[in-house]
Amino acid sequence: MTASLFADLAVAGLITGGIYALVAIGLNLQYGLLRIMNIAHGEFLMIGAYLTYALRTATGWSPLWFVPVSALAMFALGLLIHRLIFRRLARLSLTVEELEERSLLIGFGLLFVLQNLALLIWGADLRGYDYLAQPLEYGGVIVTANRVVVFGVVVALSAALVLGLRLTMIGKAVRAMLQSPLGARLVGVDTRRLHPLCFAVGLALAGFAGALLSMIYEIAPNIGESYTVTALIVITLGGLGHITGSLVGALILGLVESFGMYLTNPSLKTLLSYGVFVLVMLIRPKGLLAR
Amino acid sequence: MTARRALAAAAGAAVLTLPLYASPFALALALTCLLYVGLAVSWSLFSGPTRYLSLATSAFFGLGAYGTAVGLGTLPWPLLILAGALVAAALAWLIGLLTLRLRGAYFAVLTFGLSEVVRHAVTYVEKSVSGTVGRVLTDAPEVPTIYWTVAAIAGAALVTFRLVQRSDLGVALRAVGEDEERAATLGVDPRRVKTVAFCLSAAFAGAAGAAMAPRSTYIDPSSVFNPFILFQTVLIAMVGGPSKLHGPVIAALGFSLLAEALRLNLPYLYLIALGLLLILSVLFLPAGLAGVSWLNRWFEPRPPRMQPDAPRR
Repeated sequence: MTASLFADLAVAGLITGGIYALVAIGLNLQYGLLRIMNIAHGEFLMIGAYLTYALRTATGWSPLWFVPVSALAMFALGLLIHRLIFRRLARLSLTVEELEERSLLIGFGLLFVLQNLALLIWGADLRGYDYLAQPLEYGGVIVTANRVVVFGVVVALSAALVLGLRLTMIGKAVRAMLQSPLGARLVGVDTRRLHPLCFAVGLALAGFAGALLSMIYEIAPNIGESYTVTALIVITLGGLGHITGSLVGALILGLVESFGMYLTNPSLKTLLSYGVFVLVMLIRPKGLLAR
Repeated sequence: MTARRALAAAAGAAVLTLPLYASPFALALALTCLLYVGLAVSWSLFSGPTRYLSLATSAFFGLGAYGTAVGLGTLPWPLLILAGALVAAALAWLIGLLTLRLRGAYFAVLTFGLSEVVRHAVTYVEKSVSGTVGRVLTDAPEVPTIYWTVAAIAGAALVTFRLVQRSDLGVALRAVGEDEERAATLGVDPRRVKTVAFCLSAAFAGAAGAAMAPRSTYIDPSSVFNPFILFQTVLIAMVGGPSKLHGPVIAALGFSLLAEALRLNLPYLYLIALGLLLILSVLFLPAGLAGVSWLNRWFEPRPPRMQPDAPRR
């Protein structure tokens, strides 16, 4: 393997890994914090991608404008869904396990609703638009400009998230809830206000990632599922409720896929990620970074 | 009691004699109903009492179907069904080995993931070794043969469900579902009972897949490993309530009829409606139709005993 090929694969892996990170952190907020196993998480990414696509083709403006729009729309949708479904579900469920099982089923229902809604509105064809598709070259590595933009935005947002969790009061409250839900309530964290917020932020991250995704890939109504699965693998890898772990895990998985696909066969991509998943589940079921 | 017995016998006779006089359309509809009765009841066999949410049904079904596609023409029909059951049970044993130590959502997700792996693996093998994408099924058995086979599988699933429910295995499974550690302390080997029930449940799904494969003349991985089969099965079992027998049966009939009515004309709206129905049933009918008291009175007239592990009669 030559140095430039190595760099090519590494860059590709890091860019995919960056998008995985956003999706996985979003899911980690829902599952790690609220115990809501939202199997429809990837569908919100898909909706975000279509929203950006639709706005971009309608207005012709740069899709970067619509990244926050998609994120905000998913945030609002998240508040609504939490209010209508998951608040009631959390009240109904006596144990954490019950909540996980039921939210999984609800997620299944949401998945079918959202996916078929997208099929109804946009049809099953692949959709896409051109944005900054010209190649950039640096030291023998060739990347299209849109990927560089996407990677930059992902890095900025991830850094902001990690710092926000470390430095702000809300971030501290969220970390407290991750460590001990009961303890957080005892020291006065208002879980009734923060729970919907965290759920909605999780979906907003999915919408954000979806908007970015639409700049570099073609989209279809079924793209969400694979991202949900990837996100699950990542949060297992990084540890439940472990935000930095998700970031690291996502980058590792991105690299494993990128190099693994080159070394074996592109059609084995899913097998590779599941291979990693099964291995981690068997060897370190609490995550790579778990203490 | 006797009235209900007579009614059940009449219903059974009607189901069995249907191919003799029904129109092809009615027969196809009845076949779908029976298929989902079999799938939902066998799914409930394991996931009902243990509350381990298995999402691998499509893999078992698809593998059974592929077995038929490969062996049709060389092996006799009953042997194909048996092979489908055995292959699916073997796969379940393997999946169980990896996943049955996990609880809750992880188990569900990993079974779903592993069934995706199976689908991709079959696609890969077909493409690189057999050099095909799909398979054409020639000299398939007649529709009535398929119908009676699926009816037998569904019937066997119903009987097995009842037998397991009343056996020591059923008690052990419910104990595992309620509290695994306590069950282990009381002398149940959770791993063994879970594996047995999981393989048993998978065998029925595999047999159903093997029997249903010749219904279409051409199969490929995306059609037989279709997640829709899993979704419909879980939905029927959950809406019906996996802890009792009559719930899934009623739900299977209702959904198959609904599917036939809506699926062809309004496919997307049908699936959206199914999704909403699942959400609503989880929120407002947590025990499923089996939790509806007047239905229970009709199907199980005696009040349920306080100790579920006491042998009945």
